[in-house]
Amino acid sequence: MAKTILIVDDSASLRQVVGIALRGGGYEVIEACDGRDALTKLNGQKIHLIISDVNMPNMDGITFVKSAKQLPAYKFTPVIMLTTEAGENRKQEGQAAGAKAWVVKPFQPAQMLSAVSKLIMP
Amino acid sequence: MTLTMEGDMTIYTAMELKARLIEPIGRHRELEIDLSGVTEIDSTGVQLMILCKKEAMAHGTTLRFTGHSQPVLDALDLFNLGHYFGDPLVIQSDHSREALK
Amino acid sequence: MNLDDALHTFIAESRDLLQQMEEALLRIEQSNDDADTINAIFRAAHTIKGSAGLFGLDHLVSFTHVAESVLDRVRSSELEFSTALTALFLEVCDHIGMMIDHVVQSSEPDPAASRELAERLKNYLAPAEKPAKAVDMPVEHERPFNTIGGGRVGTDNWHISLRFGPDCLRNGMDPASFIRYLGTLGQILSIATLTDAIPNAAEMDPESCYLGFEIAFQSDASKDAIDSVFEFVRDDCQISILPPHSRISEYLDMIRDLPDKEMRLGEILVECGTLTRAELDEALHSQSSGDELTAIGEVLVEKKLVHQPVVDAALEKQKTIKESRNAENTLIRVDAAKLDHLINLVGELIIAGAGTSLIARGAGMPELLESTAVMSRLVEEVRDSALTLRMVQIGATFNRFSRVVHDVSKEIDKEIDLVISGAETELDKTVVERIGDPLTHLVRNSMDHGIEPAEVRMARGKPARGTVRLNAYHDSGSIVIEVSDDGGGLNKAKILAKAIERGLVQPDAELGDKEIYQLIFEAGFSTADSVSNLSGRGVGMDVVRRNIQALRGTIELDSTEGLGTVTRIRLPLTLAIIDGFLIGVGEDTYVVPLDRVVECIEVTAASGHDYMNLRGEVLPYIRLRELFDVKGRPSKRENVVVVEYAGRRAGLMVDRLMGEFQTVIKPLGKLFGNIKWSGGFTILGNGEVALILDVGGLVNLAMGREEKARHGLYAVR
Repeated sequence: MAKTILIVDDSASLRQVVGIALRGGGYEVIEACDGRDALTKLNGQKIHLIISDVNMPNMDGITFVKSAKQLPAYKFTPVIMLTTEAGENRKQEGQAAGAKAWVVKPFQPAQMLSAVSKLIMP
Repeated sequence: MTLTMEGDMTIYTAMELKARLIEPIGRHRELEIDLSGVTEIDSTGVQLMILCKKEAMAHGTTLRFTGHSQPVLDALDLFNLGHYFGDPLVIQSDHSREALK
Repeated sequence: MNLDDALHTFIAESRDLLQQMEEALLRIEQSNDDADTINAIFRAAHTIKGSAGLFGLDHLVSFTHVAESVLDRVRSSELEFSTALTALFLEVCDHIGMMIDHVVQSSEPDPAASRELAERLKNYLAPAEKPAKAVDMPVEHERPFNTIGGGRVGTDNWHISLRFGPDCLRNGMDPASFIRYLGTLGQILSIATLTDAIPNAAEMDPESCYLGFEIAFQSDASKDAIDSVFEFVRDDCQISILPPHSRISEYLDMIRDLPDKEMRLGEILVECGTLTRAELDEALHSQSSGDELTAIGEVLVEKKLVHQPVVDAALEKQKTIKESRNAENTLIRVDAAKLDHLINLVGELIIAGAGTSLIARGAGMPELLESTAVMSRLVEEVRDSALTLRMVQIGATFNRFSRVVHDVSKEIDKEIDLVISGAETELDKTVVERIGDPLTHLVRNSMDHGIEPAEVRMARGKPARGTVRLNAYHDSGSIVIEVSDDGGGLNKAKILAKAIERGLVQPDAELGDKEIYQLIFEAGFSTADSVSNLSGRGVGMDVVRRNIQALRGTIELDSTEGLGTVTRIRLPLTLAIIDGFLIGVGEDTYVVPLDRVVECIEVTAASGHDYMNLRGEVLPYIRLRELFDVKGRPSKRENVVVVEYAGRRAGLMVDRLMGEFQTVIKPLGKLFGNIKWSGGFTILGNGEVALILDVGGLVNLAMGREEKARHGLYAVR
């Protein structure tokens, strides 16, 4: 059974491109446009990996990851945070919130696929 | 005595599984843990298997893992732990599966 | 879903973000240092950069990267939005927009422009940041050869030694996944799983990781590539990766750095086939004989401390600020053509429904009548909600003018503020799209001709900064948009003189204030003493009026000399469907927009007068029979439909009143473009065609006639 990835980013085009790459790699992909949307989409279902942007409207990625990690079903779900090289201080916040994997924007779709494959195999 | 594992042996179930697995060790002379119903196993699951083996040896219980499901076989294969447990089915996994390919 | 679709999404999304960026930039002038506004600007640049990278639009990435770096300094309060920086970012905004346009045309923008702008941005970067181009990850260089323990191992395999930290499983990092992934880069020749660290049952935490691995690995991948497999666990784990033919001393370092018992590890390495027995012996021997080795025995992986941040409060604040913006995210982007198609279908549905109702009435079946009545009501609701789909707030259009006012006030060197109100007023998307140009002209006119130079304003006792206002509100089925200024107002004498000079009016004409102001809308009129490059360059107010009329709207001016001018545009809410009132003249049927109808009065046969007494007021009226040259004799009892437009009333004399009717407006084709007093037509339930009357035009016509002859009154029953 294919593993499911939740991608949270306010850029629809980014979600689309990453979605294409990940589906091509054999994963199932669920999209959410910000932290709040993502929380409603978690919904108790099995999610094997979360990819989340940091800077988003409504609920930023760090708050979202913190909240998700408080839910028993996602306590141990691996998280890839998307960041910019400028975001070093936010990275520490994110680490504390439970996001240990970081991918620097901008990235190529293939880079994301390999980052994901390191954490979960399809 | 036979313990049957069902569903996921992952970090989400590790706490609960540890208690279930450890409890009969030392209280029975022979213990069989049936892994045929394991749908997913991660490193915590493998660690628990190792823990059981160690505990069983320390407490004089004969422990056998049986009916390894494919995810379990894959994990043991990846960690090259087949010989560690020495259970017949694991050895079979190393060779017959190669042969089947 | 393919990449092309995603690129289209990217283009639309970028344009949206740029607009938000521009709006935020203009807001920042007033609300300096508002974290949310700064964040909005940052996010726009950040998001565009991130997505552009996915599409390989490297020039866009490198340009937005510089902009983002500057914005990051603003965000961390190292820099603030000065007027100069705001102006620069408005340019940046335009430039990115231009680059997006190039993406649309799949062309390459001029790199010189990007370079020039990027250079100016770099002036705002801290000196240390300037040379930082790409992120140069410190590459671990191979250590120089060392003679001590200099023997090299014979195998051409990599050796990878891993000790996973206790928390890595809790963090979602499963050693199994990394090892599986490693397998995709080459071949795992052998792997030894170290289980010694697992304590007894009482002490063992099943969520902690106790595993270690020694792996012999064969691969053509680079050290960096193999290293990157473990990038996400680097901080939590001890990892050492030894390339093929590494020196024995390096193995020794590795062995010493690991927590396991040295002898056992050495055995494992031999088991893995990484080291031969002889090599191991040499290693252990040299270790015991030389102290120098300690110098190179450095820790391979530096453990970084993760500080527990004290940011909860800040995050909480951010959350509440963002609550208000929630509404945006429930929006769905729909192709406008699809919406138009839906509206069209609803239009057809209304016509078909009217036909059915007519048949039902003819058939005289009560059940059928009842069911058609229910259906009509539902269709009406469908119509209303379909129409609201097309309604958009005028705010976005208004906000664009912040930029116009900002730029123009710089250009003409006047300090002018823009005040926006009624931004939430909704109107038809088509109208919104087409109102931009006329509004631009009016706003520029106000700034150029309306607002006086600062010294004149001071002399008149007004604040030196001028104000231009944009306001919108609903008024009896119309939307009114006002452009006003607190400038010098219109000079009636000057307008009149110019109009006479241009031959627009007779020198002896007696005109009211409003009529004088309306002269401005006549072709080829300009009152400015000096002609700047903004207004008064050919595109006159007459064009504005024509644009407004094309939207079935009207425009009028109100002015007080010395205090300012208000330009009022009155537009229909929607262009597609209206509630109509059917009136009949002879065989023909006409439609008056229902919201224009004030009352209906029955009158007895009238003579040649064009006005009547309505409760003591003079009401001019028009005989539609004459106007449209309808054959036949008027009926004995005629009806006057009193209509109102822009505060003025007139009557329309008709034969029959036929009641309300949902009217789908069909535009008149070019062939019928010269039909006066009508803005379109509709199809009735019985398939006949009815003209929709242009009430504004008719009221003006009636008023005009009233001015000409004013004697005798009609009695109203």
